[in-house]
Amino acid sequence: MRRSSLLNTAAATLCLSGLCFSTARPAFGATYFLTVAGLGGEPDYEQRFEMLATDTDKMLREQPGSDKVVETLKGADATRAKLEAALGKIAAQAKPADAFVFMMIGHGTFDGSEYKFNLPGPDISAPELAVLLNRISASRQLIVDMTSASGGATDAFKKEGRVIITATKSGTEKNATVFSRFWVQALRDPAADTDKNNAVTALEAYKFAQAKTAAFFTDAKHLATEHSVVSDESHAGTFTLVRSGPAAAEVTDPAKQQLVAAKEQIENKIDALKFQKELMDPSDYRRQMTALLLQLAKTQEAIEK
Amino acid sequence: MKRAAVLAGLGLLGICAGIVAQNQPPAAPPAQKAAAGSSMPEPNPSAPKASPMKPQTASALKQLQDLWHASRTPEDFRSVGHGFEALLKADPTDAEIRVRYADLLAERFNAADAESLYLEALKLDPNNADAYMGLAELYADGFDEHSAQAAKAALEIDPKRFHADEILGRMALEDSNYAKAAEMADAALKINPDAVEAIAIHATIELLNDKPADAWVSKIGNRGEGYADVAKELVINRRYEDGVAFYRKAIAANPQLWSAHSQLGVNLMRLGRNEEAQSELDLAYSNGYTDAATSNTLQLMETYKNYQTFTWPSASPDGPQPAGILKLDQKEAGALRPYFEAEMKKAMATYEKKYGYKMTKPVQVEVYRRENDFGVRVMGLPGVGLLGVTFNTVVAMDGPSSRSKQEGYHWASVLWHELSHVYTIAMTNERIPRWFTEGVAVHEESATIPDWGDRLNPTILAAIREKKLLPIADMDRGFVHPTYPDQVIVSYFQAGMICDYIVKRWGDAKLVDIIHAFAKTQSTVDVIREQLKIEPAAFDKDFLADLEARTGKAVAGFTEWTKELRELNTDVKDGKAPSDLVERARKLETIYPEYVEAGNPYVLAGDALLKAGDKAGAMAEYAKYSKIGGRNLETMEKYADLLASSGDKKAAIAALWRMIYCFPLDSGLHEKLGNLDLETAANADAVREFQVLVDLNPDDKAGSHYNLARAFKANGQTDKAREEAITALEAAPEYRPAQKLLLEVSGEDGKN
Repeated sequence: MRRSSLLNTAAATLCLSGLCFSTARPAFGATYFLTVAGLGGEPDYEQRFEMLATDTDKMLREQPGSDKVVETLKGADATRAKLEAALGKIAAQAKPADAFVFMMIGHGTFDGSEYKFNLPGPDISAPELAVLLNRISASRQLIVDMTSASGGATDAFKKEGRVIITATKSGTEKNATVFSRFWVQALRDPAADTDKNNAVTALEAYKFAQAKTAAFFTDAKHLATEHSVVSDESHAGTFTLVRSGPAAAEVTDPAKQQLVAAKEQIENKIDALKFQKELMDPSDYRRQMTALLLQLAKTQEAIEK
Repeated sequence: MKRAAVLAGLGLLGICAGIVAQNQPPAAPPAQKAAAGSSMPEPNPSAPKASPMKPQTASALKQLQDLWHASRTPEDFRSVGHGFEALLKADPTDAEIRVRYADLLAERFNAADAESLYLEALKLDPNNADAYMGLAELYADGFDEHSAQAAKAALEIDPKRFHADEILGRMALEDSNYAKAAEMADAALKINPDAVEAIAIHATIELLNDKPADAWVSKIGNRGEGYADVAKELVINRRYEDGVAFYRKAIAANPQLWSAHSQLGVNLMRLGRNEEAQSELDLAYSNGYTDAATSNTLQLMETYKNYQTFTWPSASPDGPQPAGILKLDQKEAGALRPYFEAEMKKAMATYEKKYGYKMTKPVQVEVYRRENDFGVRVMGLPGVGLLGVTFNTVVAMDGPSSRSKQEGYHWASVLWHELSHVYTIAMTNERIPRWFTEGVAVHEESATIPDWGDRLNPTILAAIREKKLLPIADMDRGFVHPTYPDQVIVSYFQAGMICDYIVKRWGDAKLVDIIHAFAKTQSTVDVIREQLKIEPAAFDKDFLADLEARTGKAVAGFTEWTKELRELNTDVKDGKAPSDLVERARKLETIYPEYVEAGNPYVLAGDALLKAGDKAGAMAEYAKYSKIGGRNLETMEKYADLLASSGDKKAAIAALWRMIYCFPLDSGLHEKLGNLDLETAANADAVREFQVLVDLNPDDKAGSHYNLARAFKANGQTDKAREEAITALEAAPEYRPAQKLLLEVSGEDGKN
């Protein structure tokens, strides 16, 4: 079973408040991925957007497991009609147990009240997109709008259970963004997997891209023209996007099951200890943490034997 | 001092447009802004005489001037400024009001608006000597050669304006033209035998030539501004200690000469005496002397609590203690210290041996994380366009993060350059002329490692083609009073090339001999004759012939080269891969081999060959690029990857090390280096690289601490490996490689 450090922290918090509950993860269904590279306008942007979409498509398709559906629209295919059709298809197929990830690469515009995603032919506005998205019943949804002015779409996209990541903080940040480049990089760079659990969550990818974007402007000694935002860090931290290793095999041996249970307990203790760090003597904290980590390592060794 | 893309010259401020100190009188009404001197009219004898001022205006003006002279606080000066505004409104055609208002603005540090008002006054009254005098003073303060034009115009209108002679004398002094400076000072003294600046000029000439100056100094009497004039010129000639002494005299003569207090503070700070510096600056500021230099310097000093100081002792007991002092911003101290300290020690050891000179005082290097802080440190103003400056034994320089990554700022070249100044200035007791200390410093940048330093760039090529290089006898002028925008940069390069040529023809030892000769306060002409046994004109001829041999092809072919390189880049950019790309690129390399900047043919050819699968060919092109001094990180990492995959990991490390001298704060670079170090069993180096990586505080905490753990383990430092493994796992408890490492170094992996 894979753990998210955020989930564990939340669990530790609730444990301390007396509301302990199981940290067993609900069984998830399939994940539907739709990536759209919109209108570039200039050859340079066209090429860049298509390349990012192609890379994303490739990485997602190479993911282990068959519990995913990947579709990508780019170039001349990224029309409003085809986008509507793709979203309609997902709406017809996805179930509440499924997850849905919608990624937009390209340019956006904002006229002060309405955001539009630029496509070859007619554009599509945020409210129009929201209508289509809201028909998808997947209970876990992630929208990553990496276009310029994408912050202007947030209000329209808001929905319970939906995480929204935008490359800009508002519709007034209108310059072409660099966030998309680093988001896509996060899906393949092991450095993005900061908790080293062989999976990159939406939050990890977001933080990676956010840091790289900031560094891009700092290195060039330019004022940043984009500031990305994530709507819900907690849920983004549990939304796995890609895995870099095989999924943990199910443990059937009763002895090993005991070890797995023990491992979870140790991990809980580690989270609880971290929660108390600020209140503890540093050397005492270190001593206890060391003991727990050693124990965890030995337990994992035993599981793998 | 290390050159920059623009400007240079200690004291070369230019007109401070846009830099306005706090609490100044309000800006002048909108006026036609003029570039320095560009719209200054000539006097017009046939122009009608200006109408006399109206009596009520004259009375109001007198009252304002009385108020002005009684003003003490910024608010007082503001009130006077408002008064001038009202007068201007009431009488917009009076030139005199404009001139007086401009005088106030100039005094209160608003040179840009002062200039505008003087020029407006001249439009109304082309024969207003006061306006010309105001401009002459403004331009002289900014080292603008138009000062001479303005001063001469004032003299044409009124030959008795002895201060104009003084300004001309000052400019000649700054050009090291002592004969002319004395002549102009004498002209001023003929009109006014007690002209204090003229006396100061004579005193300065004696002092700069190490001759007795008491007779002239005593004539200054108790006029503080006279001592301050001497101090200013001494500082311009880098005689900071002597300058400080004369600013003290100025204050002793006139304790309320706040400008002197401010300059004393600035110069004490240059010498690293921060406590007293702060006290002087505070005193000036609290008495209304709130110019940009004073304000900015005080603000900068507030940030010094964020710096960490590292020292190391002299190897010998009779050496200065400490030998070296390194100050780094605490945000990057951990990452930069290993490299800066190592290079500082290496440079000092090299110069001690090469110049045969041991420092008698500690050498201090301050590395500024923000370019504006460095600018304030050096000139009291941000945005000075310099990279490094030396004040005797104190070096201040831009840190790597103060420049954009695209610049490929080579901090190590700057450090070696500035440290060379420390030695040559100390060896000559501050007598070395500006051009020669710069020349030696530029020469030293690439003397130790050839791909350091700056290369022949298009600006230099243009100057060579247009025959803008100076005779060796006049080299100082190119630094202090440049006559075209790029002359300072060209002068740096020329000075360096002259020293390269001297070494090539006469040897390293001769360069040191020349340094010692300058210590005797000899002129450039005398030193060249004495040391090289050649007349300056003959030297120029031989030097230019050697330069022609080295650069002739690039100079002659530059226009065509530029066109062809542009075409080549266009072809590549449009996604084409012309079959003759490599051939065309290689031809361009032979015309102008030193060009390794954006769009250079080496990288174009290398990338094309790599894309075509010709790794050996690509490596050969990248090798040329690296050898000449290319500094694009992406290219060099590509080159290093090719070297590593071909089995030559040591060469890969060397290639990446070149980039440490430009991008020491790049996490990816340290990670690559660290991994290669481990693969080649350079374990101590791996520890350094991964420790720096951790200090850079990357987002991937678990990964960076795990790498450091690996390096400690390889280096036999098991306890430290354990600690780092724990830190990695604290960030990512499930991190399997770190878990395995922890068990290994704890002896709990079951293998023991």
